[in-house]
Amino acid sequence: MLEIDGISKRFGSTVALDRMTFTVRPGELYGFVGANGAGKTTTMRIALGVLQADAGEVRLDGRPLDAASRRRIGYMPEERGLYPRMAVGTQLRYLAELRGRSASEARAAAERWTERLGLAERRTEEVQRLSLGNQQRVQLAAALVADPDVLVLDEPFSGLDPMAVDVMSEVLRERRDAGAPVVFSSHQLELVERLCDRVGIVRSGRTVAEGTVDELREASGTELVVVVPDAPGGWADGLPGVAATRAAEGGTVLTLADASEPTLTGVLDAARRTGPVHEFRRRRPALAEIYRDTVADAPREPVEPGVAA
Amino acid sequence: MTPAALRPVALIARREFAAKVKGRAFVVGTLVVLVLLGVYAAVIATIASGEDTARVAVSGPATALTGPLERAAPTEGLTLTVVAAPDPAAAEAAVRAGDLDALITGDPVRPRVFVQSEPDADLERVIVDATSVVARDAYLQGRGVDPAALDAVVAEAGPAVVSAEPPDPQAGQRLGLGLAGAFLLFFSIQTYGAMVAQGVVEEKSSRVVEIVLSSVRPWQLLLGKVLGLGAVGLLQLVVLGGAGLAVAGAAGVLAADAGLISTLVSVVVWYLLGFALYATVFAAAGSLVSRQEDTQSVLSPVTITVLLGFVVGFNLLTSDPRGTPITVLSLLPPFSPLFMPARVALGVAPVGQVVLAFALTLAFTAAVLWLGGRIYANSVLRTGARVSLREALGRARA
Repeated sequence: MLEIDGISKRFGSTVALDRMTFTVRPGELYGFVGANGAGKTTTMRIALGVLQADAGEVRLDGRPLDAASRRRIGYMPEERGLYPRMAVGTQLRYLAELRGRSASEARAAAERWTERLGLAERRTEEVQRLSLGNQQRVQLAAALVADPDVLVLDEPFSGLDPMAVDVMSEVLRERRDAGAPVVFSSHQLELVERLCDRVGIVRSGRTVAEGTVDELREASGTELVVVVPDAPGGWADGLPGVAATRAAEGGTVLTLADASEPTLTGVLDAARRTGPVHEFRRRRPALAEIYRDTVADAPREPVEPGVAA
Repeated sequence: MTPAALRPVALIARREFAAKVKGRAFVVGTLVVLVLLGVYAAVIATIASGEDTARVAVSGPATALTGPLERAAPTEGLTLTVVAAPDPAAAEAAVRAGDLDALITGDPVRPRVFVQSEPDADLERVIVDATSVVARDAYLQGRGVDPAALDAVVAEAGPAVVSAEPPDPQAGQRLGLGLAGAFLLFFSIQTYGAMVAQGVVEEKSSRVVEIVLSSVRPWQLLLGKVLGLGAVGLLQLVVLGGAGLAVAGAAGVLAADAGLISTLVSVVVWYLLGFALYATVFAAAGSLVSRQEDTQSVLSPVTITVLLGFVVGFNLLTSDPRGTPITVLSLLPPFSPLFMPARVALGVAPVGQVVLAFALTLAFTAAVLWLGGRIYANSVLRTGARVSLREALGRARA
């Protein structure tokens, strides 16, 4: 279990993280979404000990992270980077050994991952001679080669071709199924929605929403889609419990202030009175919509300098 | 520092060593330097053994200078051929053509010397000597003194020198060894120090440093780098130094004795210390920039300081190895590694000074390691604009 507990970080006068908190459980694929500058990369860098937090703590299995436990984390930084003039195989072995693997373990793992990621033919080539796509695969192999217990990946899908996206998704699921906590950040929200068991939405260095996609849907307010072909415009305006209406999805979308039984009954009765009812259902907003609402909802409150320090 | 903490250091050092030694640049570079050293030695040898010769013609009354010229020439180390020129015009033409170095005509005391452009310095002194001899002899003979008798008396004169410490018969060899040592140290420190900086910048510009630093601490990376490249530098130092010693030994200009062994040991010890010192400075400087193009701007203050110190010290060492300036220079930590081994080789450094310089350099290196490590840890993950020293010296991360 990877716990990010109340970490704060400021760069000069900029507050990058403001008591950022979330937990990634074993066997869970956690999606970390937020705008650029919301603090995703800083959080990951702090978790990996590349940056130091001003306050707060990162724990792995209940114990604060130290140099030894950090080596159990597989990391893919946002800024991709490998030794350009080092051969693929040598490089992977080196990185595995740096993370505490023995020479023979490192050799076996480098062979296995290059095989798995379709790089077997490229083992002896220098990284700088590979195509960008293959460099990305080596980067993933670099995160996995030390056989980590936890994966922390910053934008692992950016710049991948569709084939590589499939391979990456497969590998992430596999690690999750093997019981590892896996956290990755991404701007590709439909991918996050499809892959992740839980999602955390961050804004201004803080987690503003967290849960399974379904939980986030529940929390984001209920919308109804009602298709009533014969109804006049504005038929649902002012019904009790209806906050707003708009024409969309081939009918009317109603945003409910409360999703209670009387409200639903009232809406259905009103719809029937207008003529035939072709459709009457709960709307399932995409993660992208939830994200937009969540991020737009709360205006950016100014963060007091004293808070993060 | 536990053994577990040192394993990454060893891994990093091994990678740096392998990456450089296997690289074509190292092999070719070492060969080129070897060839250059060989050529340089050959040129020096030719110049040193080269005969200084001159041919002059005398004509008319100046023919009286023939004897004095021939006697004066050996004292200036000049092999002089004096020929009589029955035809001054033909002789002038020969001077113009370069077949003769000078034509001497007229009064032997104030002769006219015709040369192509200007007389060779040695030749000029020989002619001046010869004219003075002619003038002196004429003066003495005018007063009834036999110049030959005077010369015989003068030849008998002279002091008997008694030295408290007999001069070292191998002073020349020691000087050569000391200078070669200083040069090799300077060369290695500059080359491999710059390589450390380049390596740091390469890791920053390729961003691989973030992956590496998620596995190891900054001090481990820095130490591993310095050790790995230091070992490469030491290897090259041994190859070049060994080749130089072999050549010198074969040429018979170097005799193996206790002084030679102690010189070699002190060169290696001082190299290790000097490299640790400079490599840390170079690494810290390199960590301030993110692109190879900017490396030079942060390195030049360091390289120029070392270069100036080296040039000044080298001159002092050749002109006055016992003087106060070189003594002071060799006691100043940044320059001790360059000059203390040379002074040890020359046998002019008292043990007290060597110990003092060693202690000062150790203390200085420790301070530089601490400060440089701090700058490095603070800057190595900062990409983009150059990091200012003030920011770099701020609170270090643990």
